[in-house]
Amino acid sequence: MKATETQPSFLGRISIRRNQVMSMEGNHEQELQDLDLFQKHVSDRFAALLSSPEDLPHEPLLSISWLRKLMDVFLCCEAEFKAVLITGRDPTQISKPPLDRLIPEFLERAVKVLDICNAVSSGVDSVRQCQKFAEIAVSALETKPMGDGQVKRARKALTSLLSAITSDDRDNNHFKSTERAWSFGRRVNQGGFRKDKPAGSFRSLSMVVAKNWSAAKQIQSMFSNLVAPRGAESTGLASPVYVMSVVMVFVMWALVAAIPCQERSGLSTHFQIPRQLTWAQSMIGLLEKIGEEWKKKEKKGSAGLLEEVQRMEKLGQSLIEFADGFHFPGEAEKLEDAATQVAELADICMRMEEGLVPLQQQIREVFHRVVRSRREVVELLENAGAVSQPME
Amino acid sequence: MEPPENNNFDDGVDGFEEAEKIVLRWDATTSEEAKEKMIFNSDREEVDRYLQAVDEIQKSMSAATISGDGEEKVNYAVQIAMARLEDEFRSILLSHTTAFELDSVSMDPSSSVHSSGAETTGDEYEHEHGVGDDEDLQLTDPIRRADSSSSNSTSYRSTSSIREMDLIPQDGVFDLRSIAKRMIASGYLRECIQVYGSVRKSAVDASFRQLGIEKLSIGDIQRLEWDILETKIKRWIRAAKVCVRILFASEKKLCEHIFEGIGTAIDDACFMETVKGPAVQLFNFAEAISISRRSPEKMFKILDLHDALMDLLPDIEVVFQSKSADSVRVQAAEILSRLAEAARGILSEFENAVLREPSKAQVPGGTIHPLTRYVMNYISLIADYKQTLIELIMSRPSTGSRYSGDPTTPDMDMSELEGRTPLALHLIWIIVILQFNLEAKSKNYKDASLAHLFMMNNVHYIFQKVRGSEELREMIGDDYLKKLTGKFRLAATNYQRATWVGVLYWLRDEGLHVSGSFSSGVSKSALRERFKMFNTTFEEVHRTQALWLVPDSQLREELRISISEKLIPAYRSFLGRFRSHIESGRHPENYIKYSVEDLEMAVLDFFEGYPVSQHLRRRSQ
Repeated sequence: MKATETQPSFLGRISIRRNQVMSMEGNHEQELQDLDLFQKHVSDRFAALLSSPEDLPHEPLLSISWLRKLMDVFLCCEAEFKAVLITGRDPTQISKPPLDRLIPEFLERAVKVLDICNAVSSGVDSVRQCQKFAEIAVSALETKPMGDGQVKRARKALTSLLSAITSDDRDNNHFKSTERAWSFGRRVNQGGFRKDKPAGSFRSLSMVVAKNWSAAKQIQSMFSNLVAPRGAESTGLASPVYVMSVVMVFVMWALVAAIPCQERSGLSTHFQIPRQLTWAQSMIGLLEKIGEEWKKKEKKGSAGLLEEVQRMEKLGQSLIEFADGFHFPGEAEKLEDAATQVAELADICMRMEEGLVPLQQQIREVFHRVVRSRREVVELLENAGAVSQPME
Repeated sequence: MEPPENNNFDDGVDGFEEAEKIVLRWDATTSEEAKEKMIFNSDREEVDRYLQAVDEIQKSMSAATISGDGEEKVNYAVQIAMARLEDEFRSILLSHTTAFELDSVSMDPSSSVHSSGAETTGDEYEHEHGVGDDEDLQLTDPIRRADSSSSNSTSYRSTSSIREMDLIPQDGVFDLRSIAKRMIASGYLRECIQVYGSVRKSAVDASFRQLGIEKLSIGDIQRLEWDILETKIKRWIRAAKVCVRILFASEKKLCEHIFEGIGTAIDDACFMETVKGPAVQLFNFAEAISISRRSPEKMFKILDLHDALMDLLPDIEVVFQSKSADSVRVQAAEILSRLAEAARGILSEFENAVLREPSKAQVPGGTIHPLTRYVMNYISLIADYKQTLIELIMSRPSTGSRYSGDPTTPDMDMSELEGRTPLALHLIWIIVILQFNLEAKSKNYKDASLAHLFMMNNVHYIFQKVRGSEELREMIGDDYLKKLTGKFRLAATNYQRATWVGVLYWLRDEGLHVSGSFSSGVSKSALRERFKMFNTTFEEVHRTQALWLVPDSQLREELRISISEKLIPAYRSFLGRFRSHIESGRHPENYIKYSVEDLEMAVLDFFEGYPVSQHLRRRSQ
């Protein structure tokens, strides 16, 4: 049953006019102060993220705990942004130029943030796969005395681990880590998949995103129309919109750099923050550091820059070497060496075990907040008498 | 393969050696033959032999009799055995990953969509032959979804809407159990879960594709046309029911069967490995819909989605019971609440749209305005969905302050409407603002009579629609219906006054008599003037108002009768009294153009919406 039998053009473009809200008077000074404070707070928060290694306790860049801090920073900025821009806002103010263009652009970015959150959250699940392989290796190599059997077992797990880490995320969701290597490279051909499915090809569902979706492209389109307000505009509401937009893009960019996510080639290119923005210096610093790391890794195609995964990769490689050279009962020195590495690997696993789920929960919280803010902005726009936009 | 030496293992070292031999024989990294075959595809003896060998080795592990080099050998043998068992496990799982035929279920053309939102899915699910070996799948009974009343049961096995299927036949499950037990006993739980999850996940993926579940980003969904989305939502609702009640439930059952009694919560871990990703993918679509831009046209599909999810929620709670599945349950609940919010928001949007709808184009002939039709259709549908909406709509309409004097919003006196549900209040409010808007539109007609006729038509239409729908009538109440009646009757009266006073003016008594006696003191010129004016006026009215339209036949009749009741007696009386005066003069036919019958006929032309010829039928001589 169709909801309407009327001509579609009829309520197609609803013009909603409400009575004009009395505009705030005498708050202009206060508002300017608030805008300045917003910028300052953003600057402070990101400075804390950039804290130098000498500071203790510190979180290594792009580690799980650092990312969790990043999520907190985002949530704080977002809350302040909402207070500055949305709460108690006279709707007509945000429908005037230049906001009439900037706000819809902002809303588009918000939608992309939502999709990226979903993709990254699913990417965290992929990282958990790595964790599980590592745990097998740890459990095998922790058995005393170390025997050929357990070392073989560990080696198998470590191979899977490395394969998972270095898989190319362009490979259309085929995340090799969930496919355990056959111990003898065998192919299955008895009654396997029916019809057109080639035997032995497992499509994992660790990624839940659409086929042609690309994290890198999303981020690129988020900053493609991001232009710092100039002149008179820079003291008005365009400024916090710009600041928050930069924060959004940066945070998403960092997340995508760290966590495996579909299609990230070209991630580091072109995303620049204008150097003259004083409040963005820390962000720029982080951008450079992370960007450098990304360039190094990009060629090899990796599961991302998550600090724990990076360390896992190194340890994995080293331990495979150890495993290859091991014969029962093994040499004392090498065994000691290996034990240290295994302990480190175990530590990483524990961090993952403790941190990944909370990280996902924070990402989910970011998702909720952005949904809510977006809705409030949309309502504000509608109150201003704007005709409903075809985009969105 | 060498024939087995003997089936009985001696205790101690010999027993181990025998077992070790068997295990090493099947080590595919060293034996070509072992690569080619799977143990569990060989005869049962081979299988039993191998499993016994594994058991023997495990016994040796815990036995204190072996140490030093012996211990190393045992450990090594364990690893070989476990690696092999892992492969066997995978192989058995793979051989049973035929995704069961869901085509019929998802594309069933006869499953109907009730307007209350409840859907019957797969009522006539048929097992399709010829698509391959489906013996594994017991699909002989049609998957029938009992109607929503079954959702209160907490025990999942008795919930009639969940239908678990056997994804893997008994003997397969038995084999998998035997392997799982041994792997877990040897500390290879992680490998076991990992293999299980990766194979089953692919199977679920394949089923998803069959069900047509797409991966769409939120951005994609924002950009799609609504009618396309409507189809997708419909499809999603069907698919989601199959997923939760059959697909996921069956996977859960499979995990339970395989891992029952083996360790704690291993079945939960395997189940979540298998379905977490797919479940998130499934719900992401509904979530995207729940946060999309709101517009009135979306109301009913959103309600359908809401109802379907509401209906599914108990089953979701049951299937995703474990702690590790918290996020899935929470997401489903969040989506439900967002959909409810969306419905409320849309109702609000709709009300504003009705109030502010700005089109000034006049409906020709004063007939029913498209806005009236649209709105009445819409609220009829709202009444159909009342079961859901009554729960969701919890606050009264914001009608602005009473007597605010705001000319852009009507006032509504809520005090006489105590005791009504908020939904009913909203419906009444919508009718109030519809009329308000229509009044404003009626002012666009230059002709005041037409404005009144327009209002009469439209209010009458509203009245008819309300009266014709049980639910609407019950919610809106007979009191308000009476008010509507009063309104359209008043409009009819106003119309008559606006038109006919002017026409009947020419038939009045005053001004025709010169002072003096009654019959001889009639001014002939005045009389001739009267007749002429009456004729012209009437002709004009007749010509114009024949084009007007009163679509409702009964109303049309009533109006015409009412007109006749005033017009005909007045004309007859006038004619009767004064015709002789005209007929005694020259060219009476120029003045007395019409007989009473002519006029009676002419009235029948009114409000038909057809043009009439210039000249009325003349009085035939």
